Amino acid sequence: MVRGFKYGGYVGQLLRVNLSRRAVSKEPLREDWARDFVGGVGLTARLFYEEVKPKIDPLGPENKLVFMTGPVNGTMIPAASRTSVCAKSPYTGSFFHSIVGGNLGPEIKFAGYDGVIIEGKAERPVYLWVDDDKVEIRKAEHLWGKDPFETQEMIRKEIGDEEIHIATIGTAGEAGLPYAMILCDIRAAGRGGMGAVMGSKNLKAIAVRGTGGVPVPNMLRVFNTAHRLTELLDSNPAVKGLSDYGTPRNVAGMNEAGILPTRNWQTEVFRGMQDITGEVMKEKVVKAHRACFACSINCTKYSVVPSGPYKSIVNGADYETIYGFGSICAVDNIEVLCKADELCDTYGIDLISTALSIAWAMECYEKGIFTKKDTDGIDLRFGNADGMLQMIDKIGRREGLGVLLAKGTRAASKIIGKGTERFAIQNKGLEWPGHTCRPFPAAAVGYATGPRGGSHHDIRPTAEKSGLVDRKTLEGKGALAAEVNHWLILSDSMLLCHLGEPIWGPMQISANTIEALNAVTGWDLNYDQARKIAERQWNMIRCFSAREGFTREDDQLPIRFQEEPIPEGPMKGSYIPKETLERLKNDYYSYRGWDLKTGNPTKEKLIELGLDFAVQDVGAH
Amino acid sequence: MATVRVKGFSVIRDVLGKEVVEVAVDEPAAVGRVFDVLLEKYGKPFRDVLWDPETGRMTPFLMRLNEEIIRSTSDMDRQVRDGDEIAIIFPVGGG
Repeated sequence: MVRGFKYGGYVGQLLRVNLSRRAVSKEPLREDWARDFVGGVGLTARLFYEEVKPKIDPLGPENKLVFMTGPVNGTMIPAASRTSVCAKSPYTGSFFHSIVGGNLGPEIKFAGYDGVIIEGKAERPVYLWVDDDKVEIRKAEHLWGKDPFETQEMIRKEIGDEEIHIATIGTAGEAGLPYAMILCDIRAAGRGGMGAVMGSKNLKAIAVRGTGGVPVPNMLRVFNTAHRLTELLDSNPAVKGLSDYGTPRNVAGMNEAGILPTRNWQTEVFRGMQDITGEVMKEKVVKAHRACFACSINCTKYSVVPSGPYKSIVNGADYETIYGFGSICAVDNIEVLCKADELCDTYGIDLISTALSIAWAMECYEKGIFTKKDTDGIDLRFGNADGMLQMIDKIGRREGLGVLLAKGTRAASKIIGKGTERFAIQNKGLEWPGHTCRPFPAAAVGYATGPRGGSHHDIRPTAEKSGLVDRKTLEGKGALAAEVNHWLILSDSMLLCHLGEPIWGPMQISANTIEALNAVTGWDLNYDQARKIAERQWNMIRCFSAREGFTREDDQLPIRFQEEPIPEGPMKGSYIPKETLERLKNDYYSYRGWDLKTGNPTKEKLIELGLDFAVQDVGAH
Repeated sequence: MATVRVKGFSVIRDVLGKEVVEVAVDEPAAVGRVFDVLLEKYGKPFRDVLWDPETGRMTPFLMRLNEEIIRSTSDMDRQVRDGDEIAIIFPVGGG
């Protein structure tokens, strides 16, 4: 454990592992970067900008994979136990952050590190064993080919410690499937192909055991802050229900509002909704609740289908599972959704990209673009539950049509052509989560301009979805999207959970967020200072994208959302026509002080934020 | 007297005891009056799932009033009529 780091909440040390050289080193965390970029995603973005050259192959040894914690990780602060996993994405080509809950981040800190940087490529499969200050690169040939659960069990047995926390890939990550995920104990760093990056380094797993603590300047202040925030979380109506129902709490209400995406987003009303709600899940399959470190929300459901064709055990299903394999594929059987979730975890693939790829294929099939010849004999109509499950298998094994779908909807639609890109529900290559933007202009511009594309963690539609603001007006929506970006990126740097949105956001960085950060670090940030950090972080990531060649033209929405109004239900008629999107983008760029033509930060903005080193790279003027 | 159907899900359904309840209000009545009646009938458990203790105000949410989406923040004075249906669409962030 490093002593004497200037700020509380940090260990003050990074672990760097070069797999090509089998070299392990420990280095001090830069105090200026901690202060200017906080931790998590913000800090990793700064490190990436410094260390990763432009235009590298994401699956080459030059890419890095960084597990980063934040200053509040491992303290008593609730809803703050997440870990950022960052790399240049093989799926989107951008700097990507996939955030995962559970215990990994706190354990990394207890082991004595603020983050773990993985670089190079091992000659043969290995896993990393971090046991406090003892770090070993171990052989993993015997683990290669195993699924994440088998791998975790074997490592725990091998090390003889049931309490270690493990991040591991499945066979999809080993094979470089571009939307392969990393399973961290029972939770997934699901999006953007972080598992493929890990697999490209021949790194099967990272196992961590830590026995240290997290230094804070004033324990009583942290205790009091944690106590107050826990009470707020527990009593907030927008958080209540997550414990009983998990995120599927939302399903029925979203359908009532006409915003439950259905049949590959051809509509947003699902007639089979009543069989896949959180209420049904609770009644039929949920056996227990599971919580992340130091969190009272208890959002993870432990569900069991004890027998029958869909026999499965999952930590879920989450809302995104129900959206993706339920309404999007028009499957109305909760047991099937549990099985689908289990299959994705077992192969180690992102369930959102998997589900949307299958839904795209279903639409191709119903439109006659695919026949049974293309689908390996499967009648791939919407609603065919068994066909959907078979297709997950095919993707996981890269067999038959699964070879194409394993590339994702952007690449697959480019290969097939015939107008299929019009219903590939992605932007920047990333398939969409189950949160619409068609009736919500701020969400629309947030999704379009987000560095990752189809991520509801670069923007949250909550302000418009809850009625906090008038959803219909375009006025002020660029500003709203930018301020939502700010609370999200700061929370992803502290590693706060977005399910705590009512207390961390939801429209701008909240006083609670700043209080948590100040309590653990000993800082005395006011709103303007916290906002400036967040703005710096967001601009840093934008600079990375600009350096990779992304421009205003890449800030798009799926074509369907620009051309096809929602056809039925209470939101009937809602969509974001191209001219509206362009107007919203102008509004957003102007508010940010970005160049309207390129969509990149201006020289003045970069200098104002202390990012002058990036001026030349992004061609700012 | 107007009878209004109110639909609630998850924790709201738990408090109401079922997904749909009928609320009788004297006419003319507004949406807000329907919630007053619900609060009188279901008391603190109902308050706990809709009012934010930090602000003391109702948590913002959307409602479907028949086929129209309305807001708790601006539309509580909308008139309701006999046979109307209000669905409480709780703040949804999602995971």
